[in-house]
Amino acid sequence: MPKPEFVYVTYIETTPEQLWDALTESTFTRQYWFDTELQSDWKVGSPLALVMGGKTTDTGEILEADRPRRLAYTFKHVLDEDMRKEPATKVIFTLESHGKIVKLIVTHEGFGVGSKLLDGISKGWPAILSGLKSLLETGKAVTIPPAALGIDGFE
Amino acid sequence: MSKPDYVYVTYIETTAEKLWNALTSSEFTERFWFGYRATSDWKVGSPCNLSKDDRRSVQGEVLIADPPNRLAYSWDVVKEGAAREQVSRVTFDIEPYGGVVKLTVTHDNLGPKTLRDISGGWPMVIASLKSFLETGRELPADLLTSGAREPYHA
Repeated sequence: MPKPEFVYVTYIETTPEQLWDALTESTFTRQYWFDTELQSDWKVGSPLALVMGGKTTDTGEILEADRPRRLAYTFKHVLDEDMRKEPATKVIFTLESHGKIVKLIVTHEGFGVGSKLLDGISKGWPAILSGLKSLLETGKAVTIPPAALGIDGFE
Repeated sequence: MSKPDYVYVTYIETTAEKLWNALTSSEFTERFWFGYRATSDWKVGSPCNLSKDDRRSVQGEVLIADPPNRLAYSWDVVKEGAAREQVSRVTFDIEPYGGVVKLTVTHDNLGPKTLRDISGGWPMVIASLKSFLETGRELPADLLTSGAREPYHA
């Protein structure tokens, strides 16, 4: 049986450096990540907090930070009663330059069997990464109504 | 219900009608689908083809045509030199939410080689489609042959 994980690949007309900054700076993330701030100094071993509307939703630790090629952090949901009991997972961003285009691969792994978090992030990443691509290519993130994602309790 | 073989979701700032037209007009597909023209009258039961430089790569039959919400066709890879596999099926679900459209591409009943090919192909084609509809510019044609398409998973 395949490992429970989520992989999403997209292609963005940008530079690896701009994409890196958009993934790590809150001035960008707030525009496409449903108003989420990413708080970290992005040094290996440093903590990371995802803060949405003043509430910390997820926490982690920076595992790899090789600007502008590879970023990895642990990811643990801390808000939802069920999901906060799940083990910490891992998110890896790989940025590959192909001419004027950057290929972005997001891998989210380390889920337990029957993970509720896996269902949530499988619906969340396509929306977040669609907004990211729009922001970098048009200067404006699309406004995606949270209800479109189909995540229970995220409306 | 069993899990579909392959699903890719994206959100595009456009209308359902424009997205439907982009998927069904050969002039549009030629631009964002790296030179491939999708041709059909898009009536249920009619043939449809994907061809590039007048060479057919995929032949199929329209299975569902419910503009602008749902389009499905069978997918038989007939590319010269390619080994024949079981006929698969692709479905496009188009759902408007405010100023954006959620596009879900589901590809089912896949043989192993076709699964590998479409897993590399759809993210590139759909990324190009999104750019085309939002900026008027598709992704560069040479991206397809640049090595960027290699699937991440060995």
